[in-house]
Amino acid sequence: MNEDLESRLRAALRPVAPGEAFSQELIARVTADGVSPARAAGRRRFFAPAGWLSAALAASLLLAIGVQHHLQERHQREQGMEARRQVIEALRVTSQKLHLAYVAIENQSS
Amino acid sequence: MRNCNVRLFCACLLAPVLAWAAPPSPRLLLPDFSALASKASETVTITLDSALLAMAGRFLDGNDPEDAATKEVLKGLQGIYVRSYTFDEDASYREADIAGVRNQLSAPGWNRLVETHSRKSHSNVDIYVMVANNQPVGLALIASEPRQFTIVNIVGAIDLEKLHRLEGQFGVPKLEWDSPKAQPPNTKK
Repeated sequence: MNEDLESRLRAALRPVAPGEAFSQELIARVTADGVSPARAAGRRRFFAPAGWLSAALAASLLLAIGVQHHLQERHQREQGMEARRQVIEALRVTSQKLHLAYVAIENQSS
Repeated sequence: MRNCNVRLFCACLLAPVLAWAAPPSPRLLLPDFSALASKASETVTITLDSALLAMAGRFLDGNDPEDAATKEVLKGLQGIYVRSYTFDEDASYREADIAGVRNQLSAPGWNRLVETHSRKSHSNVDIYVMVANNQPVGLALIASEPRQFTIVNIVGAIDLEKLHRLEGQFGVPKLEWDSPKAQPPNTKK
């Protein structure tokens, strides 16, 4: 009885090679979960030292561009404000001298 | 070869004619006043070309009345040039220092609009305007006082009415230029 059961179990649990359909279904499921073999390879590359270096370089480059843009904007703003100040100063001087001329004309007429 | 010589000869003949026919520039060549600047107690040197005027215009607030009036004046202007020197003592500069500028204003195209002399303040103010096609295209102002002289040159389609309207701002008291008493140009006391 025991031997019979054992032989039946062995027959039932014998190693069986997976079929072609099983492999395809497995790959399809892995792809559906978003972990494609290519992405997995990419992750491995990213976490490798060379990946970190590239990311750091890209971040530094972006930061440098941002800082440069900010400095350029600030410089242009300073230039604009200085030009504005000069325009107002120039018109103030002109107005003063026109006023001087007017006073002279008024004094002469009165 | 002969044709080339004829063209060269014609060009030589035409050059002075073209130079004479060229419209005079409303931009004055302001001398280098560095020697006077070193003696002056206060110096104002302003050189604003069209690019800088445009830049300044972008930084003027249209909602602010003073800025809005300034913006209006700047429309059509191509340059503003100011040289002003204030000294601690009388007679620190000579009339000859300004003669170079006065000579330029005697060129055709410039018209003296106002010439004033005040015995009280010993000040002279001369205002010149260059007109083209019945439109003022340049303004020059020379103000000389015992301790100060100022030269202003404004290039472009200057609107004297708008400039006049600026009076009362920048700390200058508003006066009625349109009053009959203030009309006569070329007046000398």
